Formats: sequence, C-alpha cells, structure tokens
Amino acid sequence: MRALSNVVVAENLTKRYGQLEAVRGISFAIKAGECFGFLGVNGAGKTTTMKMIYCRIARTSGTLDVLGLDAAKHAQAIKRRIGVVAQENALDPELTAFENLLLYASFFGIRGTAAREKVSELFELVSLTGKERARLTELSGGMKRRLVIARALVNDPEMLVLDEPTTGLDPQARLLVWEKLTRFRDSGLTLLLTTHYMEEAERLCNRIAIIDEGKILAEGSPQELIRRFAANDVLEIIGSASELPPPDRLDGLVARREQHGDVVYLYNADNRMLLHRLTELGYDPPRHVARRATLEDVFLNITGRELVE
Amino acid sequence: MSPVAAFFHRNAWIVFTRNYLAWQKYAFSSIAINIVEPLAYFLALGFGLGSYLQLGAYGSLVQFIAPGMLGFMAVNTATFDASWGCFERRVFNGVYESMVTAPVDPLEIAAGEYLWQAFRAVLYGCLFLGVITALGLVHSWWALLCPLVLAISGLLFSIPALFISMIVKTQEHLFYYFSFVVTPMSMISGVFFPLDKLPHWLATIAWWTPLYHAVNIFRSLVLGRISSAMAVDVVWLMAAIAVLAYLPSHIVRKRLGN
Repeated sequence: MRALSNVVVAENLTKRYGQLEAVRGISFAIKAGECFGFLGVNGAGKTTTMKMIYCRIARTSGTLDVLGLDAAKHAQAIKRRIGVVAQENALDPELTAFENLLLYASFFGIRGTAAREKVSELFELVSLTGKERARLTELSGGMKRRLVIARALVNDPEMLVLDEPTTGLDPQARLLVWEKLTRFRDSGLTLLLTTHYMEEAERLCNRIAIIDEGKILAEGSPQELIRRFAANDVLEIIGSASELPPPDRLDGLVARREQHGDVVYLYNADNRMLLHRLTELGYDPPRHVARRATLEDVFLNITGRELVE
Repeated sequence: MSPVAAFFHRNAWIVFTRNYLAWQKYAFSSIAINIVEPLAYFLALGFGLGSYLQLGAYGSLVQFIAPGMLGFMAVNTATFDASWGCFERRVFNGVYESMVTAPVDPLEIAAGEYLWQAFRAVLYGCLFLGVITALGLVHSWWALLCPLVLAISGLLFSIPALFISMIVKTQEHLFYYFSFVVTPMSMISGVFFPLDKLPHWLATIAWWTPLYHAVNIFRSLVLGRISSAMAVDVVWLMAAIAVLAYLPSHIVRKRLGN
C-alpha cells in the first residue's frame, strides 16, 4: 500500500494574463496513487492550472508544490520526475514515431541501447508496435495521442499529467486511451487530468474538482458529487414547469427542479416513485426521459451551464 | 544559465542531433537547393558580367567574387533556417514545445540551433569551396581555415535570425528582415565588388556589418594575403557573437520558458 502523501499541493493559486485572471485563487491537494481530474468547460482555467503544475508557465501568486518542490524554483527537477501529455501533441513531423521518443528520452539522459529498449517497451505498452518507423502523417489521431502518452512515460514518471487526453478522438480511440489510463491508475501511478467529458471523469477519476471561471466550485468523488448536487435520479420532462403539479403536492419527492430551455429537470431519489405520484395526480408527462443523475447534472446544478458546448 | 554556458550543455547537442536527423532525410535536395542558387549568382556575375570587367589591383571579377560568396552563403543558409525553419519548428511543428516539457532550458534550444546553423554553413560553404578550388581560384593553403570561419559566420548570423523568428507574429513578416537587412547587407559588404568607390557614409555602414569582416577574412585566406589587419576582422566577429548572444535571451525565455 502506498503512503497517501500529497504529490501536488496548491494554496490560493492564481494566474493573471494582463487584465484576465485565468485562475482565481484555487486550493487543492492531490494524493499519491489517485486519479484526480479537473472537470470544466473550455476557458475554465484547466489548462492554465496544468501548465503551472508541469512548470510551463509561472504562477502569479499563491503557492504550488509538486512532488514536494516549489514549482517556481525547481522547474527542471520537477520536469525530470513527471510525465506530461499536453493539450497539443507537439510531435515532431520530421522524425519517425520511434525517433520522436528516442529524442525525448535523450533529454532525460536515456541513450543508446537502454533508450531503444525502453522505447520499444513503451510502444508495446500503448499498442503501437509495428509503427516505429511511421511518419506522423501515417498515424491516426488516437495513435498520435497514445504515442504522446508513451513519450510522457519515458522517464518512469512519479505522476502523469494529462491535459484533455481524449479530446478530438473518435469513440473507439477514446476507449483505447481510457483502457491504458485505467491500467496505469490501477498499477499505482498518480494521474492528474483535465477533461470536459463527464464520462471520462466518471470512469477514470477517484476525485474530481469542478472548475469554472478560474475557481474550484466543488470537489469530491464522482459518487459524492452526484449525491450532493444532483440527488440520485433525474426526470427530464419536455415542457414548462408551470404545467406540472405544484411542488407541495409531490410529497417532497423532488429535491430540486430546474428549467433549462424547454426541458424541466426534476432531481429526485427514485424516478419510479415520482412517475407513479405524477400519474396519481392525473399528470401524465407527455415526453420524458427517466435516467440516473450524472456529473453532467452536477455541473449543470453548480454552474447553471451545460458542460457540452 | 547564461547563453554562453548553454553551448556546453549536452541538451544543446541533442537539439543539434534532432535537426541533423530531420535534415538527413532530405539531405540531397537540401544540399542541391543551398548550393545551386549561390552557384548561379557566382557563374552569372563572375563569368558573365566578369568577362567585361577588370578590377585593377583586385584582378578579375570572378576571382573577387569567389571568396566573397563564402560569406554570402554563410549569411544566407544560416539566416534562412534560423528564421524560417525555427519559426516552423516553434510555431507549427511544436518541436520546442515538447522539448520544454522535458528538463531542457530554452537557452539550450537556442544554442543547439546556433550550432546547427554553424554546421550547415560549414557543409554548404565547403562544397562551394570545392567548386572554386577545382576552378583554380584558391591560391593558398590558408584556405584550409575557411571551414572554421564558415562555422563562426554561420553561428553569428543565426543569432539575429532566431531573434527575429521569436518576435514576428507570422512567418511572412520574416521577409522584412530578409529584404531590409540581409539582402542590402549582402550587397554592400564587399561580396560582389570592392568598397573603395562607395560613398564614405555607405562604406562606413558596410564596415559595421559583420558580413564585411567575414568576407575580408575569406578573401585573405583564399588569396593567402595574411596580414595583421585580419586580426581586427576576427576580433570584430568574435565580439559580435559575444554581444549578440545576449540579444535573444529574454525573448527565448519568454517564448519557451516559464
């Protein structure tokens, strides 16, 4: 069992670009061995936060320690010990897939036969064996992403930082990346990722911070967040809330009701009971969807905005 | 890290190796492109225009231009790849972006690029040196020092070019640098004609360009006219490197550092 020490600790972290405050005083702690995710829309401050963690940009104020080192003072020492999958692949189109990784390995002092063996191993790990000599133009989006993940593992990192690991991939390619990441997580590697796919966050992350407009709005395990902010079930009814029976007649079955566009969301403990009660009251919901609550609902309830753009 | 110390870091040589790996995949076309154009200038001006001219004490035009072209090639090969090429590597291909997620200092990337430009200048310059040697235009064993001067010149001219590539917003803006700085400098630095008949003010400007001094050295080596005046040119080039090396530090750190 690994010690549950903190690998990243941020206190009141901010980043300002001129007038724009991209990250506005966030605090969080990431434990060794967990998969921690920042969930939020584009422009929420996820990438800026990640870039500060992997020492690509400097913070404006607050404190940020990565692997026990101050990110402002020990950038190179931190980079030596983490793996980075940035939002952009930044793969070198003038080199082959294999050369891309060999070159990267040499920056960590891994050279010669040791480097070749290491890179071959990684190709196998991310299911790219046979693509060693491929030019980038011959690789699909999913292959490129896996190649970048392999590149990030070249130095046996203590933590893998992934900024939107599957954005832009087709569902099949996404599943394959998830499968690899799940394997790394289960082997005890600390993962830190950002995403705007709630399914990704729900599948991979032990803990999630919902981030919006540069602030962390809620934090917890996916299940905790759903319980706390979205009841258990959701009944989506197309129509207006005014057509529904008044709340006091629903026997407190509805924990919260929201109207977004022409859909009424009834957050409740059990859809079956609620539907039954509605029928009893003579209200037969015309078009409705009964489903379990997801992180999407959590996000909607906390920010008042939808996650999908 | 100082820009000078960066040259001695292993990472600078890994950046150099990266460029070599990429280059050797299309080495033949790269060599052809870089040698054919200067050769065309040389043949047209030297033998074409030159057949109508005599430069008095300087001899024939073809003899005058031959060593001058070495300087011309150094400035052009280094300038083009350190500006156009580096812009591509930084902005379009994310080459530097991946490097700085590894423990690589931005100044080491710059140093690696300078070393690479020095290599290119030596390679293409020596091919040209071979051509003029075959034509009987090299008259001294001192010419064996030409590769060293090509390296120094390539390195020197790559510094302002990289600097420009870091400050422009689009690749097209690099043409301002080519058209307003590099081409005029190539014309007035004694590559194609002696400067004695230039107006004083223009000759003064020429003296302040590094290319003028590089060309002086090449001509002295190829003709075997070694004198103490050469020391001024050598000191001038070395001083220019020492001063220029600090010029891009700030912008390189800003673009690629944290």
